[in-house]
Amino acid sequence: MTSNDIVMLEGGPLVDAAGLEDAVGWTLKPEGLCKDDACVIVNDRDALFDGDRIDVTAVASLLDRPATTDIESGLVAIGAPREQRRAAVNDMKAPDFVLPDIDGLPMNFSDHRSKKRLLVAFSSW
Amino acid sequence: MIAVAIDEDVEAVRAGCDGITYPVLIDAEHIVAELYAISNVPTVLMIDEDDNIVQPNWSAYASDTFRELTGIDSEKQKDHIRAWAKDGTLRMSPDEAKGVVGDLSAEEEEARLVFRVAAKLRRDGDTDGAERNFERANALAPNDWTVRRASQPLRGINPFGDAFMEIYTEFNEAGRPYHGVTGH
Repeated sequence: MTSNDIVMLEGGPLVDAAGLEDAVGWTLKPEGLCKDDACVIVNDRDALFDGDRIDVTAVASLLDRPATTDIESGLVAIGAPREQRRAAVNDMKAPDFVLPDIDGLPMNFSDHRSKKRLLVAFSSW
Repeated sequence: MIAVAIDEDVEAVRAGCDGITYPVLIDAEHIVAELYAISNVPTVLMIDEDDNIVQPNWSAYASDTFRELTGIDSEKQKDHIRAWAKDGTLRMSPDEAKGVVGDLSAEEEEARLVFRVAAKLRRDGDTDGAERNFERANALAPNDWTVRRASQPLRGINPFGDAFMEIYTEFNEAGRPYHGVTGH
């Protein structure tokens, strides 16, 4: 089971180290921003901090993910890494996703790999 | 076939699903609209056995309900789909298909996130906060139907009434922007 890489945070964009890992799955280490064995070099470390807290939207930007903050409510939305959409629009490769079916059971798009798939986006509106 | 409702109203979606045997997924957060740069419905993609998008975002219809507005013959579209299913015949060559879906603009991308914030505030009972964010999302992407029209039922607006013509008129004036291809 994969999960979609979108995040909704309450309480504003400033988080501590544990909050950062919860939100985006990456941690800030001396060698950079790291996840598993991969690290992204951080050129301007100070730019990620507000006092001793980390600005999760600055980290999102470094990870090439869009983010927005609604200051009044403190909600922060972080989108999927842009490379996922670029795979679709530039490289014609279908990004995977997981969504609940109409009865609430999760389904991965990739469960149907090795078949031709007609993907139909529709709505009630 | 996999149908994805860009919609959080499960019961409204279910009402249209009598007798359907293929999966119908509920995309309340508009994840697919973000990942595939989908700006309106219906949008159809053909994806092959190896995850290659062989028909990118295509404004294709199951019936001729909207033919007066679109001029599109849904039977011709369904013939293309049947031909692909049967023997792999494609409507567009790979060279033609590549690059026909423009990436989202920074505003369209942000509008999707702001919409997500608005929808959460609405579900949490913060009507004013929801409205503030729906308005911001709509200002960022006024011609994106997955943002502006999708917000209407969540704001108590009938998406099939005068509000439809308002969006449709602006959309036409803007040159009918769509992330994908239209036509038979």
